[in-house]
Amino acid sequence: MELNNVAFWTFSSLAVLSAIGVVFFRNIIYAVLSLISTLIMVSGLFFNMGAELIGALQIIIYAVAIVVFYVLVISTVPEDKGQTVDVNYMLVSLPVGFLIFIELAYVALYGAWKSNTGMFTPEVVKEMGNVKAVASMLFTKYLFPFEVASVILLVAMIGAIIIGRKDHVLDEEA
Amino acid sequence: MEILGTVIGITIKSLIFIVGMFLAAAYLTLVERKFAGHVQQRPGPLHVGYHGLLQPIADALKVLTKEDLVPDNADKFLFYLASLLAFVPSIMILAVVPFGEPFEIFGFTIYPYISDVNVGLLLALAFGSISLYGVIFAGWASNSKYPMIGGLRKAAVLIGYEVALGFAIAGPIMQAGTFSLKGIVEAQQGLWFIIPNILAFVVIIFAVLAETGRTPFDVQEAEAELVGGYVTEYSAMKFGLFPLAEWYIATFVLSAITVILFFGGWNPLPLLGWLPIPGMVWFFLKLFAVFMFFLWVHWTLPRYRVDQITELAWKVMLPLALANIFIVAIWIMIFG
Repeated sequence: MELNNVAFWTFSSLAVLSAIGVVFFRNIIYAVLSLISTLIMVSGLFFNMGAELIGALQIIIYAVAIVVFYVLVISTVPEDKGQTVDVNYMLVSLPVGFLIFIELAYVALYGAWKSNTGMFTPEVVKEMGNVKAVASMLFTKYLFPFEVASVILLVAMIGAIIIGRKDHVLDEEA
Repeated sequence: MEILGTVIGITIKSLIFIVGMFLAAAYLTLVERKFAGHVQQRPGPLHVGYHGLLQPIADALKVLTKEDLVPDNADKFLFYLASLLAFVPSIMILAVVPFGEPFEIFGFTIYPYISDVNVGLLLALAFGSISLYGVIFAGWASNSKYPMIGGLRKAAVLIGYEVALGFAIAGPIMQAGTFSLKGIVEAQQGLWFIIPNILAFVVIIFAVLAETGRTPFDVQEAEAELVGGYVTEYSAMKFGLFPLAEWYIATFVLSAITVILFFGGWNPLPLLGWLPIPGMVWFFLKLFAVFMFFLWVHWTLPRYRVDQITELAWKVMLPLALANIFIVAIWIMIFG
């Protein structure tokens, strides 16, 4: 048994287990905790596949920067209220979840089918490194989508600031 | 069989690093207490051993044998988990920090680092920010007011400074052309990166103080307003883990990263390269100087208010870090 295989089975089984936890934990803070664990395990999978840049970014961006906002919101919910379940939401969440599942399955299968057909074969990546490979694609071929995405984020950020601003701020420098 | 050897080798090395870090952290408490004492014109620990040299051991015994109280209304599992969640990631940063070049003793090549990953700096940042969850969950699991406020404050501070820190480390990365901490040190054999990156250095000093919760930024504890902040309900070793992780291990490791990013790591001081001093000694000398700088700031300055801290993070530190990227870009264009 190779070390890679051991690592793959450990990370993937832990990821699946914690993903089940996200769905089935009644206590919402435990659900978030399992979400963090899922994301970290997925980053372990990335490391195992040799995509160390994506692995590290997975931890920084998903497991910390994004989930910390979930945690901030959720941790202000008192413990007893965090455990109630509203059945009505299931009517919406089940079909939406199913759609997302189909999309992800399509992307995963398409990716597996298309993998290793581009210019970045494992040898090339091994020679120039993940970071340079990602950067050279991001700033040449995909520069326009990249800039559009950042403009959209900027618009969203400014919009959020404007919506969240109070009409008149009392004692500004108190 | 080969794999087994690798696994055993890495395990032993990690154990050496972890145990060494524990011992170092224990004695860093003594250094800090002595230093704080002299800053405030008192002798500091004096009676256990010669000038308090055995004080850390007495402290450790005390903290380990104390009664371990868990509040009735606390979420027991999370309460235990939070102290580990704050502690383990900060010690995990050690996995990517190199302490010197490989050297040879009795024919064995010794690598004074656990791993040299391509994205070491990003991983250090990632592990450092995971420990934030320990603080938030500690606040939530205690199920009481002060810890809750402390945890939320810490989160607000960290979110701001993580962003600034992320932009600040971009400067050295751009100059070295690699994320590997070892590669960054090797790129500084001529000029240290402090020269064009002085703004980033300022940002990093502030960010490290904020991340480790040292005084100008210790709003998460703020003993005058919040009792003890997020550690209010903790006792015995579960309490001990928080300051050990934040004040000592995290400060130590982040000082090491600061030295690596800006002060040439284990390269000798300028003009002193002819001295027969090994690289690791240089590294620890610089590390100690940076660590003492943080202590110095901690024990002299009063505390900011929490809104001032976040304002500083978003309105001053972030623009400074961006300006640094601009300056470094121009520097690279001119000097290559």
